[in-house]
Amino acid sequence: MRNIFRHLEGDKAIWAVTALLALFSFLPVYSASSNLVYVVGNGTTMGHLFKHALLLLLGFGIIYGIHRIPTHFFKGLSLIALPVTILLLIYTLAQGNTIEGANASRWIQLPLVGFTFQTSNLAAVVLMIYVARYLTKIREQEIKFTQSLLPLWLPVFIVIMLILPANFSTAAILFAMVLVLCFLGGYPMKYLMGIIGAGVVFLTLFVLLAKAAPGLFPNRVDTWISRVENFWDGGDTEGDYQIEKAKIAIASGGLLGNGAGKSVMKNFLPQSSSDFIYAIIIEEYGMVGGLSLMFFYMLLLFRIVVVANANPTIFGKLLVVGVGLPIVFQALINMAVAVELFPVTGQTLPLISSGGTSIWMTCLAIGIVLSASRKPLVESDGERIDEENPLEILSGQL
Amino acid sequence: MAVTPSHILRRLYLVAGGLFLFAGAVVFKLVNLQAAQGEKYRDLAMQRTEKLFTIAPNRGNLYSDDGSLLATSVSKYTIRFDAVTVKEETFRATVQPLAKALAAQFGKPADYYEKLLKKARTNKNRYALIARDLDYSDFLAVREFPLFELGPYKGGLIIEQRTVREHPLGKIAERSVGYERYDDNGYVTRVGLEGAFGDYLRGKEGKRLKQKIAKGQWKPIGLDNIIEPKDGYDVVSTIDINIQDIAHHALLRQLEHYKAEHGTVIVMETATGAIKAISNLGRTEEGTYYERLNYAIGESHEPGSTFKLMSLVAALEDGVVDTSTVIDTERGYWRLYDRVVRDSKHGGYGEITVSKAFEVSSNTAFAKIIHNGYKEKPQNFVNRLMEMRLHEPLGMPIKGEGVPVIRNPGDKGWSGISLAWMSHGYEVSMTPLQTLAFYNAIANGGELLRPRLIREVREWDRTVEKFDKEVLHPQICSPETVGKVQELLRKVVSEKHGTGHKLDTPFLSLAGKTGTAQKNYVGKDPEKLAYISTFAGYFPAEEPLYSCIVVVHEPDKSVGYYGADVSGPVFQSVAQKILANRPIESHLPEFTLEKPDLDEAYEGYYSLAQEKMQTLPDLRGMSGMDAVSLLENLGLEVEVRGNGKVKRQSVSKGTDISQVKRVILELS
Repeated sequence: MRNIFRHLEGDKAIWAVTALLALFSFLPVYSASSNLVYVVGNGTTMGHLFKHALLLLLGFGIIYGIHRIPTHFFKGLSLIALPVTILLLIYTLAQGNTIEGANASRWIQLPLVGFTFQTSNLAAVVLMIYVARYLTKIREQEIKFTQSLLPLWLPVFIVIMLILPANFSTAAILFAMVLVLCFLGGYPMKYLMGIIGAGVVFLTLFVLLAKAAPGLFPNRVDTWISRVENFWDGGDTEGDYQIEKAKIAIASGGLLGNGAGKSVMKNFLPQSSSDFIYAIIIEEYGMVGGLSLMFFYMLLLFRIVVVANANPTIFGKLLVVGVGLPIVFQALINMAVAVELFPVTGQTLPLISSGGTSIWMTCLAIGIVLSASRKPLVESDGERIDEENPLEILSGQL
Repeated sequence: MAVTPSHILRRLYLVAGGLFLFAGAVVFKLVNLQAAQGEKYRDLAMQRTEKLFTIAPNRGNLYSDDGSLLATSVSKYTIRFDAVTVKEETFRATVQPLAKALAAQFGKPADYYEKLLKKARTNKNRYALIARDLDYSDFLAVREFPLFELGPYKGGLIIEQRTVREHPLGKIAERSVGYERYDDNGYVTRVGLEGAFGDYLRGKEGKRLKQKIAKGQWKPIGLDNIIEPKDGYDVVSTIDINIQDIAHHALLRQLEHYKAEHGTVIVMETATGAIKAISNLGRTEEGTYYERLNYAIGESHEPGSTFKLMSLVAALEDGVVDTSTVIDTERGYWRLYDRVVRDSKHGGYGEITVSKAFEVSSNTAFAKIIHNGYKEKPQNFVNRLMEMRLHEPLGMPIKGEGVPVIRNPGDKGWSGISLAWMSHGYEVSMTPLQTLAFYNAIANGGELLRPRLIREVREWDRTVEKFDKEVLHPQICSPETVGKVQELLRKVVSEKHGTGHKLDTPFLSLAGKTGTAQKNYVGKDPEKLAYISTFAGYFPAEEPLYSCIVVVHEPDKSVGYYGADVSGPVFQSVAQKILANRPIESHLPEFTLEKPDLDEAYEGYYSLAQEKMQTLPDLRGMSGMDAVSLLENLGLEVEVRGNGKVKRQSVSKGTDISQVKRVILELS
């Protein structure tokens, strides 16, 4: 055992929380799979379990591989990865998958392995690193808005625009996270306000355009509007079907829950193994289970803050916050949807929900946080210089 | 801009704090959902996802006396077709084979089905009727047809099952077999045996809690039913299918011939009161007949002359008259106050004995006997009738038994002429079954039995309850009176002047009484005046086995209306067929056929065949057949010339067999 653990560097608490969440995830995923198998008629329960195990195994491979990479390598990596992800996003969108006329181009089919891959998740991580890098680079300068327009906001807007038509919530969360990161990175507040304003104006235009010319391009504007309307509309309408089922699940869970696998509502909640998994967890494991899960995410948040605190470099701090906070934020959004604190979104519960891309990209982010939490071999004031960084040249150019 | 680590951290704490607040909000909402709104949503969960299902028990079977099924529950299947769910290529490939298969199964042309299926497809009909009320074997076949074998989602097969009560014997005794029917408001109509013994047949519903797992899919909760369903018991009735069949068809033939309004036949086993047949036929507007109402049990009417038996028994019991008492029939016309009693024969019968008055069914004689005999104390006559239990219903389990009417003096409707009119069956009212019960009591030596329709209640092969004969009155009148009236009832048929003499045949000894009652006589409108023709009696007269009553209402007057003409033949034909069906046991004296020479020949052959022979025996005198078999068994070749017994053998007796190869036998 010691041998294995010796290879695991970085924050042990994060390792532990990640492993616990991953282990726990088998329970709800296995339970929810009965709905897919017996009601939807898709696969076998063992099959779903095995697939989940495989995804997690690959995920931990990713964590291990990423956390060995020296933190400052990510600066350069993000520069290479960003154009690639943008191309992938364009490709994804261009496929034009639709669900009942609404744009659902979120996935690309991975060749050979047969998994689908949600490119927006990758793009989010890459973009956060890129922004962190940029903020680090300009930390000493008195920055002008026009100066930051091209290197910062252009890539941000391109990525978000490419995600928006198919997945509003991911785009919105990413935008919010970029803003938070900029806020942390000392980007001037007045400019941030301007950007928010621009974002709102842009979104309004997008919605209006989609409404005015419904056939022009596939989008999910109608879905967003109805979801938001349902949320604000107090009564139980037809559209509240999902949320009502989630509330029934939570209410019938009680303090200790009905027991593993005993959920009833999993049969009626669409996406019971991903989007609404928190409601199912509470139904089966009760308030105790739900709060424990919340506790672990809060512990993760705490450790991320600790790691950010401990990391000596500005880039390290911003990187940890930039990729770490979205995990916790997404978890909270998922829970908030289940308790009707937030309109219905397609956000998964990181590490718990089934779904390859979500697991892998969470693992990627955690790997980066762990990398930043490693004890640096030699410390100098500010910048690590003893390690070769082949991408430093590239990083310096922009 | 000059960002420092502490600068970042301060802002990070702010953001992290914000996230903690967010988490707090989620927890608050969670607790609120469970505590404050918990009740509402938990109720909703029960409402949406749990339901108590009723498990219908299987209704028991109704059997006839000999074990034939009278009524049983069977599943019927209606097949419908969802033409939308089927894929276009599947539909195109299978529509013709399916149409052919349907055509072969149901006998309609294949293109009829093809059109039906294609039309459903074009009209996007999701509920097209293919076949209604199939039995199980047809249903199994249809399920395996092309396209339908793919099931409900891919093949569009819709199956609707319902349980119906089937009567394997069809219309026979349909009314007495009856039914139990619930309408939408939960009201029950209970008819006949099914209704009467519904408590046995029905069984008990089970309950099972189920949980919804998807639209239209329910999963049982737990292993056991909350209440196990209990199947209904089987009921074995006393109805005998053969007798029922005879009674039904005899009545039907007579009703058709006389174009009567309705009629009923009941056959009862004398010693036990078991009803062996009960048939009720009513006329439809088209002039056909079907089991319409249970007239036998439900319809109480003025019985007419069949009631003379009751009057006579009462009079004999009270010593008012004896059978030899002579009565003057007054030229068939006797005025009492302002009313007149008439005999059916113009001019009357002159001075006749009570015995003959009964045989010829004289109204005037009976009116005089009862009126004169009881006019001082009419209550005595009524009391006597009541003593014979004529005023009470028989207490049949079948709903709607008609109530008999026997008025007390002083009751509403009682008048000075009541005694005279009651004497020949007016101003009283009885159902055919009640009249029959009385006749049966006379046949049974005075013991009045409750008519029985049920023999036993069974659960599989176990008897749950057995029903024996029920005595309503151990002795309605003295054995002497029984003997006297039995003789008179026989004479009605056997004597030449008897009203039932037409029924007399040399091979049957029938006993009974005719009755021709008037109906709708109040308005004195001859158009409306109708008759009720009755014959009640038993057979064989000497040792009665069965009693039987036939009542025919409103026969066509132009064809005939007398009890002996209309109802008598039904009675006769029932008696004839029942008695003809009874096996006759006769013993022949044992005898042996003695033929000494045949025995001797056989003995001779048998003893020779048993010997182990070394030398050839003397075969002369033996039949050729025996000789050949003997020699061939010894391994010799035999040649036969002629027929009959052996006259000469080519090898003489005593020759060693090993020396002999071939023997020629000459027969004559």
